[in-house]
Amino acid sequence: MLSLTFKNLWARKWRSLMTAVAVIFGIALVAGTYILTDTTNQAFDQIFNESIAGTDVVVTAKSEVDQQDGSTPSFSAGVLKEVRQVEGVDLASGGIFSQGAILDKDGESTGGGFSPQFISSTQPEIFEAVTYPEGRKPTGPREATLDKAAADRAELEVGDTILLAKVGKAVPFKLVGLTELGGSSFGGTSVAQVILPVAQKITGNVNRFDQIAIAADSGVSPEELRDRVQEVVPDTLRVETAQENADRNASEIRDSLQFLTIALLAFAAIALFVGSFVIFNVFSITVAQRTREFGMLRTLGASRRQILVTVLIEGLIIGLVGSIIGLFVGYGLAAGLSAVLKAVGAELPANALQVLPRTIIVSLLIGVGVTVVSSLIPAVRSTRVPPIAALSETLVTGGKSRVVVRTVIAVLLAAIGLILIAMTLISGTDGGTGAAQIGGGAVCVLIAISIFAPKLVAPAASIIGAPLEKIGGLTGRLARENAQRNPSRTAVTAAALMIGLALIAFVTIFASGLSSSVNKVIDDQLPGEITLQGQGGVVPFPAGAVDAARNVEGVEAASGVRYVSVKADGKNASISSVDPADIVQVYTVEWKEGSNADLTGLTDREMVIGDGLADSIGVGIGDPVTLTSQDGREFRFTVKAIMKTDSISLAGEGIITQTSMARDFDQRLDAVGLVKLDPDADLDSTQTAIEDTLKKQDYPTVDVLNQGELKDQQKQTINGLLAMIYVLLALAVVVSLVGIVVTLILSIYERTRELGMLRAIGMSRRQVKRMVRYEAVITAVIGAITGLIVGVVFAFLIGIPLSGDGFELSYPIGTLIVILILTALAGVLAAIYPARKAAKLDVLEAVSYE
Amino acid sequence: MESTLAAPSQSHSSESPIVKATGLERVYGEGQAEVRALDGVDVTFEKGRFTSIMGPSGSGKSTLMHILAGLDKPTAGSVEIDGEEITGLDDGDLTELRRDKLGFVFQFFNLLPVLTAEENILLPLSIAKKKPDQEWVDQVIDRVGLGDRRDHRPSELSGGQQQRVAVARALVTKPAVLFADEPTGNLDSKASEDVLTLLRGAVDDVGQTVIMVTHEPDAAAHGDRLIALRDGKLVHDAPPVSADNVIELLKTLA
Ligand SMILES: Nc1ncnc2c1ncn2[C@@H]1O[C@H](COP(=O)(O)OP(=O)(O)O)[C@@H](O)[C@H]1O
Ligand SMILES: [Mg+2]
Repeated sequence: MLSLTFKNLWARKWRSLMTAVAVIFGIALVAGTYILTDTTNQAFDQIFNESIAGTDVVVTAKSEVDQQDGSTPSFSAGVLKEVRQVEGVDLASGGIFSQGAILDKDGESTGGGFSPQFISSTQPEIFEAVTYPEGRKPTGPREATLDKAAADRAELEVGDTILLAKVGKAVPFKLVGLTELGGSSFGGTSVAQVILPVAQKITGNVNRFDQIAIAADSGVSPEELRDRVQEVVPDTLRVETAQENADRNASEIRDSLQFLTIALLAFAAIALFVGSFVIFNVFSITVAQRTREFGMLRTLGASRRQILVTVLIEGLIIGLVGSIIGLFVGYGLAAGLSAVLKAVGAELPANALQVLPRTIIVSLLIGVGVTVVSSLIPAVRSTRVPPIAALSETLVTGGKSRVVVRTVIAVLLAAIGLILIAMTLISGTDGGTGAAQIGGGAVCVLIAISIFAPKLVAPAASIIGAPLEKIGGLTGRLARENAQRNPSRTAVTAAALMIGLALIAFVTIFASGLSSSVNKVIDDQLPGEITLQGQGGVVPFPAGAVDAARNVEGVEAASGVRYVSVKADGKNASISSVDPADIVQVYTVEWKEGSNADLTGLTDREMVIGDGLADSIGVGIGDPVTLTSQDGREFRFTVKAIMKTDSISLAGEGIITQTSMARDFDQRLDAVGLVKLDPDADLDSTQTAIEDTLKKQDYPTVDVLNQGELKDQQKQTINGLLAMIYVLLALAVVVSLVGIVVTLILSIYERTRELGMLRAIGMSRRQVKRMVRYEAVITAVIGAITGLIVGVVFAFLIGIPLSGDGFELSYPIGTLIVILILTALAGVLAAIYPARKAAKLDVLEAVSYE
Repeated sequence: MESTLAAPSQSHSSESPIVKATGLERVYGEGQAEVRALDGVDVTFEKGRFTSIMGPSGSGKSTLMHILAGLDKPTAGSVEIDGEEITGLDDGDLTELRRDKLGFVFQFFNLLPVLTAEENILLPLSIAKKKPDQEWVDQVIDRVGLGDRRDHRPSELSGGQQQRVAVARALVTKPAVLFADEPTGNLDSKASEDVLTLLRGAVDDVGQTVIMVTHEPDAAAHGDRLIALRDGKLVHDAPPVSADNVIELLKTLA
């Protein structure tokens, strides 16, 4: 029997290979994701391990509250003196390693997109991990180095001038050398190095360090020294051996990359889910076509089990072949994905691509598992073929009794799915579990829909086929009849497409809702005309920039907004500080309890709190709130007023004064500057004047945007993300199109004699092709329309709870129609090969074919 | 034993030939495996006549019919239909030819299961985007005796009824030639008789030309002319006398 399986597979090798495509894409994404993240993790491991060369113990500050930019607090330089006293310390030295901006001499950023730039201090020789392939270490106050990769990207050479900026005006430096850290790649990240006091000054850390590196006397182990140092430094500091430090840094990176892994694997899961529909369909059709063969095998004495095993082994082999091909494609995909990330400005560090055994094992298991599970139902069906089927002309198919079972299963699945989704939304479970529950619920609902779908095929095909019958006449009619002839086949094919399109519709609607919500926030909350932003909207900028803007002719009011992440009565919250004098002119607060006067009159240790946060920690006007800073200090604030907060609130979940922000939370940088012009000032010329002033006053990292540009920028960010999601969903769509191709080929094979007859009585090749094409279009459009409807309904449902947070869905009808048309065209594309095959059928062979 | 049979005659040459085949050869395979399915066949078919082609299994009957109908190309020789040389035509021209001049009835009924009987009958006209001549259509449907079954799907019809629909479908375009390859091969004798009567009637009443491959003496006896093949050669050409006579003939060929 086994050799029969192989012969069958070989005889249908093209069909089998196309079936394998159903898993190839999904597995490629699984493998590609693992290879990409393993490669990145390995590169970071290398970076951290290289950078601790010569260091035995490291002192850093603990971070009680994670900041959005991932920065850790600095600590007083006084600690160094204590550390040096410790028995067994050979050498100890403080250092700076902080995010900042690296610009060329014209003030243009040298980095790209979302990759961070760092300013670091030089270290005493024994701690210095970098080498200087060109030039030398900076020694003077106006000298700097840059990592070689960044210098190459920005086409900078030793001798050129660069600007460094963080808390103050941009300062020019002469590039005296280029650095390398062993063989490590930094990806898109760049690092500039200056002498310690300069680094401290630029990053706003005068008399402070980000870390202390310690070398032990010989004979003292790092662990021993770590324990000794721990005793003399405050609790707020963390003392680790260098290896522990490197391991922790690496694992933190791993954790933050986990998000990327999960997101990519989710798309792989979608592609595989769609693929399982395709596999199910191909196996169902093949089993139906082989009914007579199975009957014959049964008459020869084959047992049900033997039949089952032959079919399942076919699934297993197809899955195995698909997974192996998928692994190779995944290897290429990993390189492609990192190129895509690089293109969107998030280049990850990478050395050689890492293919771990785990990647191979997981890919093969998933690929084989998905294929075998998907072929299970058709395989079981094959065992029901009675020996008599060998003799009968017509195919024996399943009776009506199973319809009831099916309906029950569908209803149950739909109910379970909806309950799962509803529960997740109501309980507000977020993070991985929430996403998994919603995903699981969606899968249940989608399967339920596809079980119902055969019932929808006949009416749907009639409606969609109507215009085709108008233009195509008979070919349109026959195409429609063919699509309806085998409703479950068409339904499953369309359902595979439905899944991808439902997701596309869903994210399209959400992205458009996000864009319009952002626009609404800008319109409603920002009465000013101009917004200042750090480069690309991500890097905070010096406070002086807003002051400089305020003094420009034609500016009426300007306020910077600073942010910090804190714990409010133990709950994580992002709060802001503003300039009370000007804020109400440039920022519109919607009050729940209180008024603008409360904001302008806000004093130190008073706060305005958002209604959401106030509710969740249970405080009202006059109540105390304890805010915990990143370095773990606690401050009591009194609630002065309560504002309404939307999910996208520019003021975060609370507002405090600039004074408390700087003193208590060490935040002196503005994230945004809000500017309002005199009523009679000209927008364009004032905007240019502000830009010129900022440039002249050495604030090159500040972008000056008017509201239109701000909206565009936000929209672009959203659309960039959307484009990436589209690309990943396209994998699933391509899989479902392959499903259309295979199904058509199988159907054409079944209808060989019929096609031959049509050709014999005068149907031209062109008409045959058109007929096949229309059938594909009908199937594709059924999938597209149901997908779009499902996507819209899901978006609507999930939008309900979010609408309370100021999120407004908007339905981009135009885009959805374009998607529908594109899908119909994709159907035409999918039909090219099957249509050609059908048209090429030799009439003679077809009519004498049995 | 060939000499005992009538030689291929030109006795009908006075009437106008609608199909004319000259020097037809059809060779399958090469070398050892070479099969000469047709080995030099010259034959003409006149308008309005019902010709049966007989011969033992493997004698080249189907091959001859396929080549005459332009479904297959001869290795050598030529075929003219209605004065037009068809051996060199490309697929598009052959499609046109089939639409305009040929009708087919196959052994297996070859109806589209998704269409009703009437729709199946009108199919060639729909394919060619021709307007049906309703009077003729009604007459054809009447003739095949399926008036009350017009809206039935093939699965709701018996084998004989299905084959009558197939004949109607072939007649509806008023083809210059109607080719039938063992049209009764799959039917019981009553249904066979119906189909043959139908074909005979078309010849007699509207002057339809019919060329039919069959291995059933009863079927062959319905024709005006019987030609027989053996080993790819034309070995008999005469009007059939009776079924018994045909059986005798077959015995001599086998
Ligand atoms: N496609 C083909 N390839 C090879 N040989 C063929 C093919 N078709 C027919 N033949 C051979 O040609 C001969 C005539 O076949 P055919 O015309 O089908 O005979 P008939 O219809 O009289 O039974 C037979 O020997 C048959 O085996
Ligand atoms: Mg034959």
